Amino acid sequence: MIDRIEFLWPEIALFVTTCVVMVLGLSRRIESRRMTALVTGLGLIIAGVLAARTTPIPGPRSGQVLLPELIPYAKVLIASVGSLLLLLQAGTVDRAEEAAIAAGQRPYDPLRTNRAEYYAFFLFSLTGLMLCASADDLIWLFLALELTSLPTYIMVAMSTGRARSREAGVKYFFLGALGAAVFLYGFALIYGGTGSTNLNAIHAHLAAHGLNLTALAGFILAFLGLCFKIAAVPMHFYAADVYQGAAPQVSAFLAFVPKAAGFISILLLTATIGWSYAADAQGPLYTPITQSAYDALEGAVSMGLPEPIRVFLWVIAALTMTVGNVLAILQKSVKRILAYSSIAHSGYMLVAVLAGPNNGTFSQSGLAAVLFYLLVYGVGNLGAFAVLACLEGRPDADGEPAEIEDVDDIRGLWKTRPLLAWVMTLSCLGLMGLPPLLGFFGKLPLFTSGLAAGEIVLVVILGLNSAVAAYYYLRLIKASLIDPPSDADLPATPTPFATRTLAGVLSAAGVVVLAFVGGGLMDRSERAARYTSMMAVAPPPPPRKTPYVPGDDTPFPLPIPIGAR
Amino acid sequence: MSDALTLAQQGWPAAFPAVTLAHYLFVSAAMFTVGLIGFLTRRNLIIMFLCTELMFQAAGIALVAFGRYHLDFSGQTFVIFILTVAAAEAAMALALVVLLFRKRETLSADEWTEMKG
Amino acid sequence: MLHQALHLLPTLAAAPPAHADSGAAATPGGQLLMLVPALCVLAALFSALSGPLKIRSKIPGYFSVACLAGAFVAVLLTYLGHESGVKIAHGFEWITFKWGDGPGQALTGNFAFYVDSLTLLWMLFVTGLGALIALYSVEYMADDVGLGYARYFFAFNIFVLSMSCLVMADNLLLLFLGWEGVGLCSYLLIGYFYKKPVAVAAAKKAFIVNRIGDLGLVLGLLATFVAFGTLGYDPLFAMIRAGVDAKGAPIADSWVTDVIPLLLMAGAFGKSAQVFFYVWLPDAMEGPTPVSALIHAATMVTAGVFLIARMYPLYAADDDHMALSLVAWCGAITALWSATIGMSIFDIKRVMGYSTISQLGYMFAGLGLLAPTGAAFHTLTHAFFKATLFLAVGAVMHGFGGQLDLRRLSGVARMRGFGIVGLAMLVGSLNLSGVPGTAGFFSKDMILAQGFSTPASMIEAPQAIAWVLLLTAGLTAYYTFRAFFRVFTGPVEYLPGDDEHLLEHGRHPKGTTLAEWHKQHGHGHGHDHAHTELTGVAARRAHGRKDFDPTTEEFDPHPPGWAINASLVICALLAIAAAALYFVKTPHAEEGGWVGGMIERSSAAFHSPHEFNLLGITSHSAMYLVSALVGLTGIAVAAFLHAPKGWQGLFLGSRDTAATSRADALTPRLGRVARWARAKWYVDELYDWFLVKPLRGIAYVSSWIDKLLVDGLVDAAGALPARVGRVLRPSQSGVLHGYAAGMAGGVALVLLLVLIVLN
Repeated sequence: MIDRIEFLWPEIALFVTTCVVMVLGLSRRIESRRMTALVTGLGLIIAGVLAARTTPIPGPRSGQVLLPELIPYAKVLIASVGSLLLLLQAGTVDRAEEAAIAAGQRPYDPLRTNRAEYYAFFLFSLTGLMLCASADDLIWLFLALELTSLPTYIMVAMSTGRARSREAGVKYFFLGALGAAVFLYGFALIYGGTGSTNLNAIHAHLAAHGLNLTALAGFILAFLGLCFKIAAVPMHFYAADVYQGAAPQVSAFLAFVPKAAGFISILLLTATIGWSYAADAQGPLYTPITQSAYDALEGAVSMGLPEPIRVFLWVIAALTMTVGNVLAILQKSVKRILAYSSIAHSGYMLVAVLAGPNNGTFSQSGLAAVLFYLLVYGVGNLGAFAVLACLEGRPDADGEPAEIEDVDDIRGLWKTRPLLAWVMTLSCLGLMGLPPLLGFFGKLPLFTSGLAAGEIVLVVILGLNSAVAAYYYLRLIKASLIDPPSDADLPATPTPFATRTLAGVLSAAGVVVLAFVGGGLMDRSERAARYTSMMAVAPPPPPRKTPYVPGDDTPFPLPIPIGAR
Repeated sequence: MSDALTLAQQGWPAAFPAVTLAHYLFVSAAMFTVGLIGFLTRRNLIIMFLCTELMFQAAGIALVAFGRYHLDFSGQTFVIFILTVAAAEAAMALALVVLLFRKRETLSADEWTEMKG
Repeated sequence: MLHQALHLLPTLAAAPPAHADSGAAATPGGQLLMLVPALCVLAALFSALSGPLKIRSKIPGYFSVACLAGAFVAVLLTYLGHESGVKIAHGFEWITFKWGDGPGQALTGNFAFYVDSLTLLWMLFVTGLGALIALYSVEYMADDVGLGYARYFFAFNIFVLSMSCLVMADNLLLLFLGWEGVGLCSYLLIGYFYKKPVAVAAAKKAFIVNRIGDLGLVLGLLATFVAFGTLGYDPLFAMIRAGVDAKGAPIADSWVTDVIPLLLMAGAFGKSAQVFFYVWLPDAMEGPTPVSALIHAATMVTAGVFLIARMYPLYAADDDHMALSLVAWCGAITALWSATIGMSIFDIKRVMGYSTISQLGYMFAGLGLLAPTGAAFHTLTHAFFKATLFLAVGAVMHGFGGQLDLRRLSGVARMRGFGIVGLAMLVGSLNLSGVPGTAGFFSKDMILAQGFSTPASMIEAPQAIAWVLLLTAGLTAYYTFRAFFRVFTGPVEYLPGDDEHLLEHGRHPKGTTLAEWHKQHGHGHGHDHAHTELTGVAARRAHGRKDFDPTTEEFDPHPPGWAINASLVICALLAIAAAALYFVKTPHAEEGGWVGGMIERSSAAFHSPHEFNLLGITSHSAMYLVSALVGLTGIAVAAFLHAPKGWQGLFLGSRDTAATSRADALTPRLGRVARWARAKWYVDELYDWFLVKPLRGIAYVSSWIDKLLVDGLVDAAGALPARVGRVLRPSQSGVLHGYAAGMAGGVALVLLLVLIVLN
């Protein structure tokens, strides 16, 4: 495992930064405390540079054999979107406390400030996310997922002083634990069904022996648990409440980081299963088709995931996008709209997961589509949340500024804050998938990969849902860009954090600019999605261990005879 | 032919000859279900958290049993890590519960239903 | 420049007679012509910017004149340096679609110019007249200095730019760009007085009618690409010369030489206002008069002639010349048809409009009768004399407050300050009537003579076409001098037009347009009537037997200033001088003089057949006599019916008031025919009944279908997601346990589902 350390330099850099940040944030000098965010950003940039310099080496040393070039792309993506998210986090915690200290009302008290913890959690979560991308083992994957999620629970709860944030935190934490238990149980069953926790070994086992019932149940449970991370049906319930309760900048974080972790894990697990199963295979055992057998059939069979998993993902994808969109239509709160829309976007991406790599080109590869869409979605969503993060209402009795949340609150933004109105407009247009913006180029491969895999009905559902989604995105655009300002007594005032505006402007600019220079990004995501399945080559020798098949009544030996092997 | 059977044929005594892997898995599944039912029915946040721990450990039992069945140590390794994560989660849960208790002076989950729709 | 010209002339004369197009490949060159679009863009930008910069002077106008004059000089220099052959001036790569490496698998349209003598011929008068008329406009549009000026000169310069692209294009794609560009500018300039509903309607009419023709052009372009795999002239002409299409199949009797010419013809007829499509041009007279002179008389409307002349190899490649026959017949019929309308209406500017349609008909007939030289020569002479006529009419309109009714003006030429206008009008009228010795005489003669010479085996009934054209020549002479005698000779009488109010106190307030002024002074309807009702029967009904008060004490005619006079003089001189071109001997052509030389050296070169030769009299010498006789007869009739007493009326006339003449007694005897002709043969009404109204009906029905059915379905479909959402909403109860139950239930359901799939 020490071989692999060269692929973990970005994570190591982030971890070192985390340690520095934890100390720095507790400094008595305000200047040092202010350095916290700066150091965080520096760490992210270093991690990004290190990730970009990682050159994947084919073979087991790279960790993942199945998606060997995923690591650099995913980590650079994480570092870049993470940097944008960092800009947005300015002033999330300790705003009142620091103001009081600066005013000399009370002395500095390390117990009352949260800056160090907040940025440390931020970094821990991103580290976890990067580790997800490096994972080649179920244990590793589980730990990485937990490292990604655990800090976010606290970030949600501490993001504002309002009771709503606490409520969001408690819902998120408990439902998250339930979700984690589900995929953990799934991992246990996968291990039981295949006899290994190593993804490559599992893949080799499946290639040789097919997918048995235990492993199948394990994969289904694992996917269900991961559905929580990506907020997909039936694990989507928490999303709206949590996004609404958290501060907008934390919602932006939640909409990207756990979702990216979920999708990367789902990609790893589906890659482990492989898209090489004939659609019409029957019986409890699903054995993949080898490349030579496939060639012999001259493409007469359509290949894909094993039928139960395909049906499962099909239903989940269709339900997720539909439920997300129809619920988003009814919302008044911008945050809830964005939360439900984020559910819908997960559904869109699941279509591409289902489609699989096909011939590996950008227009056909569902893996490339997912990896590219993560970027598209991350940038667009960040812009929309940034607009909310840049606005606040009058402070209430506790001194906590009221939140700008309802669609009515952003009415007439073009008059008061034209820049933010345009950020909102461009972000929404980007999320809508309107050509010639980035969203269009992100969404198009979702469609084409689905079509390439022959999932026509699902693609039609995807198209219909995109049309429905246009309704609420246009509503947001209309409110901010066209409607006259509301005469409510809650005028939105800008928050005093320029970096939040900068984050919004950068992501809105990204929606426009990346669309025109996105060719390179597409090439990169196509490369990152390179899928090397062992099923394409001759099956490896059968593993030593026998998988567990339900019904096995072999007596269970106990205790372990020492040295029996 | 499984290694376990081979061992049995070599004369190694099976501790409980009637006990198979299925029994362990049944225990594990039962624990998971009990945890789930507890999670769904109890209102006290601490009890609910303990129920999730029950579910985690159910997975742990399954892992150990599988590891033993495959004569492989990854399962047991996994369990060690699960215990660690569970400890971390417990710390967070308790901190969160304290935070919530300060705000509402109750541990009931039903108190937190402001956001909906 | 002069030195260079003198130096080049002898070499030009000594050059061996070579047909440029006979196989010589195009060579790069003529880069100087890139200056033309550049200068036009510069002038257009300056004019456009003068609006926001609040420049309230004539500077944008003079700047445009300077730029256009510069463009003319560039063209002139290129012409002087041009001997023969084709040069291609490459600008930049404009459009390139490539879907393979084979032939016909790439669509390229470069911004490049195809410089041959046909191009140069057209460019000379486009830029030359453009500069002159810009000069005229400087004064004519003086009332609108400011924003209107900026708008006017912007569109004017863009027009010259587009026209240059159209004419100089090296491929049909760039030609199409220019084609649409001139259409757009025409639309903008006809609707210049955008607060006048008539002008807006006229602009829309012009645009829409042209779109129908353009459909033909686009289809023609596509068909050309399908057949030849390219849109560039150079490879295109090479293939046509070889008589094969891109696949090597012969084209002479294939669809290629039948369908493509007909489609291109539809486009040409739309732009050049020929049969079926001509209705937009008379209405286009709502635009400012300089625009009518430049765009709707001299240049843009000849784009159709140019298109056919440019693609003449394709037309001539057909074995039975079916398309050319059609072109000739349509041209002849249009010429006669619009001449009859021109004879009967009273609005002198529209008389000129119909006359333009009629003369364009001549040009198309010339092309169809296998006389491209005659057509091109007539285009050239017509450009000058018709511009002169329009500018003269414009000067009258400018001076008499928009008065255009020939029954309300008399003796204008004898009034102080209008002498030059009268003389220019006379020059133009003589040319248009084809009086011997004028440029118009020679150019018209070339077409007529060719009509009698062309064998019927090549074109359908060429003699019949020639007779129609001859009759038209007589009618043309009549209506031209009718207008001249009525307006410019006789007793001095005038009734100012409805713009008189504006001139009462000198100028109307700066920055307001005419229509605005009327609105402010409560005469909102007046100005429109001046143009519409007075031209037709309605005017007679309204003012019929009333005697006009010949003078108004407050009104003071406003004679033209130096800019208008200078443009008039130059235009008139050019119109006279154009006759001399006929006698320039060139080594390149046996007949047709200078223009003949230009055409024979270009792609439109065609050896016109001569069959008519009776007792040593060629058709040309016969036509000199016959057409002179016809033209003079027309003038004599006009003089008899409309001229005043004495020498001004050639001692034939008897008119002593502005309002009436001998023709008034004669008209009722013609019965309904005169009335119908005056109502323009009810063509507009016919179109309204058979095209506009049915289409409007269909549109109305469609709009209801859209509102009720489509919108209803859309609304229903839109309501569905919200309805589903409302059903699902209770699941988001906000209760932690509810969510947990949902998740657990979901897991259970999914496992159940998998079990079902498995079994």
